[in-house]
Amino acid sequence: MRRWESMEAFEAFLNDGGIVEPGDDMPEPYRNAVFQFIELHANSEYMGGLCERDWIPRAPGLFRKLSGLAKTQDEIGHAHLLYMVAADLGRKSREEMMADLLAGRTRFHNVFHYATPTWADQVAIAFLVDAAALASQQAVFKNCSYGPYKRILRRIIAEEGFHMRQGEELLLTFAEGTPAQHAMFQAALERWWLPALQLFGPPSKPDDKLLRWHIKSERNEVLRDRYVQKFAPMLIDYGFSLPAPVARYDAARDYWQLEDIDWSPLLATFDNKGPDSRRRVQTAKDAWEGSAWVREALEAAAEGSGVPRYGATTAAGDAA
Amino acid sequence: MMAARSTPATTLTPTATDESADAAAELADRISGAVAAVTDPEYPDLTIADLGILERVTVLAPAPGEAGPSVLVELVPTVLGCPALRTIELDVVAAALAAGGVAVEVRFLHEPVWSPERITGPARDRLARDYTITLRGRDGSLRCPLCGSAAVTERSAIGPTRCRAVYYCADCRNPVEVIRR
Repeated sequence: MRRWESMEAFEAFLNDGGIVEPGDDMPEPYRNAVFQFIELHANSEYMGGLCERDWIPRAPGLFRKLSGLAKTQDEIGHAHLLYMVAADLGRKSREEMMADLLAGRTRFHNVFHYATPTWADQVAIAFLVDAAALASQQAVFKNCSYGPYKRILRRIIAEEGFHMRQGEELLLTFAEGTPAQHAMFQAALERWWLPALQLFGPPSKPDDKLLRWHIKSERNEVLRDRYVQKFAPMLIDYGFSLPAPVARYDAARDYWQLEDIDWSPLLATFDNKGPDSRRRVQTAKDAWEGSAWVREALEAAAEGSGVPRYGATTAAGDAA
Repeated sequence: MMAARSTPATTLTPTATDESADAAAELADRISGAVAAVTDPEYPDLTIADLGILERVTVLAPAPGEAGPSVLVELVPTVLGCPALRTIELDVVAAALAAGGVAVEVRFLHEPVWSPERITGPARDRLARDYTITLRGRDGSLRCPLCGSAAVTERSAIGPTRCRAVYYCADCRNPVEVIRR
């Protein structure tokens, strides 16, 4: 186990590219920050998986249903891995994290606080939102100081790259489709452009501890700007028009300038008061309660077999 | 996607001595190489050959009136119903066409059955080092790919993908994924 004499010594270790491991005696503020960040990520993968699941029966065609099924499994699998790493930090057990999520006491990403009324919304998520999420995750992975999280991110990023490709294929179907299909995606774009931009979060504080401790590697506004430079021209090329906040091309600077962003919708999701928050949390609660019998059956089957009880991922349990 | 070609054709043999046969053999090698270099959609730096998904590439002599050879690619899926199969198929067809094939057929075989042993040694090392993914030894033993500990216990029979299970190493306290048989 490694120990640091002071926060200065710990930060010097991080600045040298040091990787913190679970057995290290890390400073408590760092442990708390890493835990909160991973818990938010885990909650978001879980809620995202349920959002994806909603569309399996309604996706057009067997192949798209199969893709949705696989993507749901990916997201829930990622949540599972992330909850293991979060629980290991010793702040909350996995059961406590689930209870907090289902009671609306903890947060999950803004994009899962909105309804998806049409298949085009689901495609907008697969194309626009997944790309924003992937860009954020890549930025975290690049410089991530917490070893177990960095290792999971490597696999998540590889799998999200596959989702991105599927998202592009889905978008092309709409972009090259009939006028009605084109209009359907345009309507979805108007619902998803702002949430996708806000997924990066509000502008980072001047001294963001997540940046100082190498949990994030880029400021939120820098990631958002890079995203706009890539996606604004792409959407326009496909024949769609950008809703507010509009990005306008400045030829002199070869730069897409984004209008000011209204942050109130994002802030509402922080309090679980987004347009669809209540239903989303209820859906998660129903899914959790509805699958209780599966967990009970697994626990009963595992009794006496030497296989650890389902979800026993607290640090104390693992050390035993 | 290209339709399967029913035209019977003979396999090119590199034993022919004339120049056109040499050129044809070179082309066949190039097509086989391009197909073997197709990467897996979920492991962007590992190829279908590394993972033992590629069973065989057969390059057939051009049919009458065709400018280039037909190609038959036989693949062994890691799990049936793997959602990446369609993507792999599209990538294989694109690679074979780009390398000079004119018609490509992709067949997914039920025999032989894929097993983790089909993954090459260097690919296993990369999976362990870069992805924290491992596979059981021939005797069924399991070790943490990060710290080598045997204190790894199952947490979920199926992980984010159908070909992997989730384990946890009690020594280095990392989640570990194990390729399923």
